[in-house]
Amino acid sequence: MDSALIPEGADRCSFPKFAIGICIVGAVALWGVYAMFLCWFKGLNQTNMNDYYGFALWIWADLAVIAVGGGAFFTGLLKYIFNVDELKNIINFAVIIGFICYSSALLILAIDIGQPLRGWFIFWHANVHSMLTEVAFCLSCYFAVLTIEFIPNLLENRQANKVPFFRHLAHNMHGVMAIFAATGAFLSFFHQGSLGGVAGVMYGRPFAVREGLLIWPWTFFLFTWSAAAFGPCFTLLVTWITEVVTGKKLVKDNVVHLLAKISGWMITTYIIAKIIDTIYWAYVTAPSLGFKMSHFYTNNSFYGYWILITEIVVCGVIPGILLLNKSTRENSTTRWIAIVLGVIGVCLNRWVMVLQIMAVPVMSFDTWALYVPSWQEVATTVLPVAYGIIFIAITYRYLPVFPQERELNHTKLEQ
Amino acid sequence: MIQDKKEHKFGMVIDLDKCTGCGSCMVSCMSENNIPFKEDESRKKDSITWMRVYKLTNGKSFPDIQIAYLPRPCQHCSGKGGHGHSPCVSVCPATATDYGYDTGIVSQIYTRCFGCRYCMGACPYHARYFNWWDPEWPAGQEKYLSPNVSPRMRGVVEKCSLCYHRYQAARDKAYYEGRDDIEESEYQTACTTACPAGAIVFGDLNDPSHMVHQIVKPDPHPDPMNKYVVDKSRNPKVFRLLERLGTNTKIYYLSEREWVRKAGDNYLDGEWDKVKNHHGSSSK
Amino acid sequence: MKVDRRSFLGLGLGAVAGVVVSPVGLKLTDDSSIWTQNWPWTPVPVDGEVSYDSSVCNLCPGNCGISVRKIADRPVKIEGLAGYPINDGGACLHGIAGLQYLYDPARVKTPLIKKGDKFEKISWEDAITLVAGKLANIRKGGAPQKLACITDKTQGSVPKLFDRFLTAFGSPNLYTMPSLESCLELTAQTLHGNGNTLGFDLENSDFILSFGAGLIEGWGSPVSCFKANASRKKRGAKLYQIEPRLSNTAACADKWIPIKPGTEADLALGICAVMIKNNQFNSSTFKDGFNRFAIMVRNKYAPAKVAGICGIKVADIEKIAGQFVMAKRPLAIPGRGRGRNGQSLKEFAAVHTLNCLVGNLNQRGGAFVMAKNDYLSFPEAILDGVAEVGAGQEKLAGSVDEFVTKLNAAGKPIVDALFVYNANPCYSLNEPKRVKQAFKKVPFVVSFSSFLDETAMEADVILPMNTFLERTEDVPSQAGLTKNVVGLIRPVLKPVFDTKDPGDALIFLARALGGSIAQNFDWETYADCLGDVTAGIWDSLSENGHVLVPPKPFKEFFEGPPDVDFTFLATNPSTVQAQGDFGLTLIPIDNMRLLGAMPADSPFAIKTVSDKVLIGKDIVVEINPQTARGLKDGGDALLTTPVGAARVKVNFNEGIMPGVLGMVRGLGHTFDNKFVSNKGVNVNDLIGPQIESGSGLDAAFGIKAKISKV
Ligand code: SF4
Ligand code: SF4
Ligand code: SF4
Ligand code: SF4
Ligand code: SF4
Repeated sequence: MDSALIPEGADRCSFPKFAIGICIVGAVALWGVYAMFLCWFKGLNQTNMNDYYGFALWIWADLAVIAVGGGAFFTGLLKYIFNVDELKNIINFAVIIGFICYSSALLILAIDIGQPLRGWFIFWHANVHSMLTEVAFCLSCYFAVLTIEFIPNLLENRQANKVPFFRHLAHNMHGVMAIFAATGAFLSFFHQGSLGGVAGVMYGRPFAVREGLLIWPWTFFLFTWSAAAFGPCFTLLVTWITEVVTGKKLVKDNVVHLLAKISGWMITTYIIAKIIDTIYWAYVTAPSLGFKMSHFYTNNSFYGYWILITEIVVCGVIPGILLLNKSTRENSTTRWIAIVLGVIGVCLNRWVMVLQIMAVPVMSFDTWALYVPSWQEVATTVLPVAYGIIFIAITYRYLPVFPQERELNHTKLEQ
Repeated sequence: MIQDKKEHKFGMVIDLDKCTGCGSCMVSCMSENNIPFKEDESRKKDSITWMRVYKLTNGKSFPDIQIAYLPRPCQHCSGKGGHGHSPCVSVCPATATDYGYDTGIVSQIYTRCFGCRYCMGACPYHARYFNWWDPEWPAGQEKYLSPNVSPRMRGVVEKCSLCYHRYQAARDKAYYEGRDDIEESEYQTACTTACPAGAIVFGDLNDPSHMVHQIVKPDPHPDPMNKYVVDKSRNPKVFRLLERLGTNTKIYYLSEREWVRKAGDNYLDGEWDKVKNHHGSSSK
Repeated sequence: MKVDRRSFLGLGLGAVAGVVVSPVGLKLTDDSSIWTQNWPWTPVPVDGEVSYDSSVCNLCPGNCGISVRKIADRPVKIEGLAGYPINDGGACLHGIAGLQYLYDPARVKTPLIKKGDKFEKISWEDAITLVAGKLANIRKGGAPQKLACITDKTQGSVPKLFDRFLTAFGSPNLYTMPSLESCLELTAQTLHGNGNTLGFDLENSDFILSFGAGLIEGWGSPVSCFKANASRKKRGAKLYQIEPRLSNTAACADKWIPIKPGTEADLALGICAVMIKNNQFNSSTFKDGFNRFAIMVRNKYAPAKVAGICGIKVADIEKIAGQFVMAKRPLAIPGRGRGRNGQSLKEFAAVHTLNCLVGNLNQRGGAFVMAKNDYLSFPEAILDGVAEVGAGQEKLAGSVDEFVTKLNAAGKPIVDALFVYNANPCYSLNEPKRVKQAFKKVPFVVSFSSFLDETAMEADVILPMNTFLERTEDVPSQAGLTKNVVGLIRPVLKPVFDTKDPGDALIFLARALGGSIAQNFDWETYADCLGDVTAGIWDSLSENGHVLVPPKPFKEFFEGPPDVDFTFLATNPSTVQAQGDFGLTLIPIDNMRLLGAMPADSPFAIKTVSDKVLIGKDIVVEINPQTARGLKDGGDALLTTPVGAARVKVNFNEGIMPGVLGMVRGLGHTFDNKFVSNKGVNVNDLIGPQIESGSGLDAAFGIKAKISKV
């Protein structure tokens, strides 16, 4: 029925099957859209946020998707700037995932602000001292870059490609993509960093505050680094999930191993930096402000040392080691364990760096602020996931996302 | 039309031994500043109270327990080193909250704020409040609203302004009468004038003739122990909230009771005993 | 032109590009943000010229001077009036929130008449005609004493007009709600003879021994007490606070002496015993019964015994007595909490006896025995034949509580009509359900009220009253002060609804009744009446807004210390015990942020209430963790007393004596105002009245209770 649109030589499920799948996920997305409109029309009272807990579930989701979306800029950087050529086989997908993550992040921001119609004030009345201003500018620009990076892939659709203009455009864009990749890497470096800076500059919040370099607190660098480290993990994870769902191998093992290896190195170096940062913060920064480390992890019903250990050791050190070590990296089970742990780890880090900050009391007579999200928050947080699934399904179906797909699957047929 | 050319640093000192926790300051602020109310205000974490009175205890058990009340308006932080980079001002992406170098007042522009709440996260005093709901008054009650303070719309942040409109009125009056400066008594905040116990003293910390200056005796030199801390009080009974963070608040507190002064900041075990005897509380 | 795919695409892209670069988008974006800044549902207050009116607040007996800021003739802010002799500038939260009462959702906006279960609007003329008709029938029956009336207080021209109305009508059955003033009058009357009341010179005392008086919880004239308390620190004056709970007053006192609830009188008498034993007293003005009293306290209130009763060490009792005697200007003050509900004459008398023994009467910093305020001179009342009959009748009861008890006990109605003015007995007396029952037994209830509160709901006709911001009234204040200030309430705006001053309503009604009753109310308006009856002070009252009565320094006013009569205490009247035999004792807590009685609180006041007092719709009770076996801090529990039970939340408080449960007074309203009502429970619902023999006061300081997890 839609075969004219499906890439040549690619094997896709029947349209009704596809449509049913889309409908199921679409229903979830609609639920999210409904919640989104509730938030827009009735206001943020639809959430369970409060004056103590002004950032909540979806802001964590926002930071988390940006972190895991870091696979796009980092893979792009490796492919186009460092000419790691094997990565051309996964770059399209990395860009698509990045595109989904960043468009989701922007959508979440549009829901999150109390006055969505004034959102543009962040550009118009920009305060150069604010990390959020930096985030907004870099995020918007980088999203534009991602869109540009995505366009050639879009134009490679069988029908679009028949238009000579589009064909040429796609071709030419591929040619200059290195420039965009470089710009993207730069922008991404900055906004990942500024997102880390958002927490680190809050000197009224001893749990968040970090010393640093010039105007940038250490969290600035740690965020960029962790996005570069764990972003590829997420690209690999989504690739793997796509392979499972489609029942096809889409990317060759050597590509996966390479990206995993790079990720392993990044994770390991990151986690060393993170451990040093944590120790310095716990033994120098916080005590200088009158806080024992235990202040941040006790006397409440949720935030215990478990979260610190899980983030750093279980979801940091372990995946790092597993991916560095050739045998565990090339063993698919241990590799997937490492990748899943890594993705959890970076998400947990974002949770800690946004939400635990809000929860910790600072004044000696204040109390912990814990919160449970409302269904509207859950729905709007699930919305990007549903949207992402639909987006991937459609792009996978109609675009030649995986250059190795044909080769890998024909080989299979021939065997 | 700024006629008042002096550089002010408006602030308060609140005597916690006089404060009875009665709540007049809270209500005076609500009434002065058109603060809305809703059916359930018992969830204090979403109840807009520019002035909030906290109850402190010494943590002991019966019958040695003691309590004190601590009124907390916005602390009008001057930021690290007193340069105007208040925790909240420095983070606001849209410049919707700003530091007045001529007054020391941290402003909030409701019509510019787009509700990202970053400033709320940055403020350790929880002095900022978000309008989660549309403000609504029972029929007729909007008639008592004051035109001097615009009612806020849903989706923006608000906080204590040190009754800035009262400063404007005083300045206008002085201008009208051909004076360059305003008197101490001409600009007093609504919480100050309401307090039946006389616990709040408000004025210009820069002006030695003002009572607040005389009680606080701000130290013109930065704290030798912590370069970010300026204007520390030289009165050993006076302290500030979370002084060690370097927020440099302009709301000072006064108490004879050591445990109350200690509650103003965080100290590691044994630290307090080393610092309590000199220079008020310690900022290091 | 042939429209092929290319030109179509080109056209589309061009159009999009055109819109994007055109100013349309920018304009729309800008407009939408401006729209968010002027949402039509967010009010824009009207600007205009600023003016200030001064008046007096009478939301509580404090009667503080207030200044009302108006913009374009709309009142926008209430503040304390600087220079006013009671409060000099400060005001409490209730007064400051006063404007909210003008537009309270529960305001009575027109006269109402009950038809079945519902109220219907009725005109003033029809309402007055109806009430006058019912009253005329009562008089026709020849038993005018069957009209009764409950008011909030006795002093001032408005309560006096109600009194006059009843006198002219022929009924002695006028009752007032419990108040600190009436307890002080009763105490002064018992110890110093009729016509007196008591004042306490807190500002000048250097040692205040408070038997639970909530000096910063709303006792007496609240703002004045706040000031006295604040100045204490400067003066170096000490405050010892005796009460079972670490109240705010106890917290700011120099010493908190926890005492078993309801044993304050015992402690006071124990201290008397120590003073007498040590011969540390001044007996020059002692009149009757001192010797009997001395023997009685020696036998019955020896420190060892008192120590056991009160839960205070013998050494401490002796130490307190010693400090009290050694102080230069000692002062003992009675009246737990606000000093209003659940007070006992024995306790007041016992505490005040300490002042008598220590010899501080009418001394600077001491207790003042003062003549009751009488600046009003009404024309002689004219009684017709019917009124003469009624005037000869006995009053049905000694107190409003006793009155309610009698109404309930009687088989058929003992009164035919009841007026209620500015009082909410169906909420604020103990066990209100018993009060409502009593009201149901009265065939015709007329409420003179500004709000459709619990009592107004029980009425057959409601005559809507102006609030204190819309009316004229003289308000004398004694409330434990040593100065006698008469303040003048002046309207700061025209009545918002179809309401009247109470005086005008009474004049209207009297006129409708005609005859001698109309003759007694021969004024055009209440304003005329006020000018008339305050003739002696009117000029300065209307000019300054207040008058100090008498405007002389007190040395000239008081001729030496008054006599003291010990006969009442010498008989050792029995102490009221808490009802029931559960293991714990529930006591009401007076909290400054809640008015506790009339009127109900404003939304602003409710907003200030701590989440350790009210969480959502749940009231929180305080309990010492030592006694809280089986309970969880913050958890739900069932509180049971002999008269009722309630679902509550629990707050572990180290500041309350083990064995005691504390519940705030002033919540649990049930009328129609979502900001104020249906929050928590009314503590009075859980406490039964305990009438003190001799005084007729409901002296229930608390009740036995148990609490269990649910
Ligand atoms: S009004 Fe004064 S006494 Fe009352 S809570 Fe505020 S500061 Fe304290
Ligand atoms: S107290 Fe909070 S809101 Fe006020 S200036 Fe300081 S950081 Fe900003
Ligand atoms: S919420 Fe408003 S004031 Fe606060 S940071 Fe955001 S834009 Fe600025
Ligand atoms: S200074 Fe004004 S705005 Fe600030 S708390 Fe006091 S009354 Fe409110
Ligand atoms: S203390 Fe009483 S009279 Fe004074 S302002 Fe408060 S409510 Fe009004």
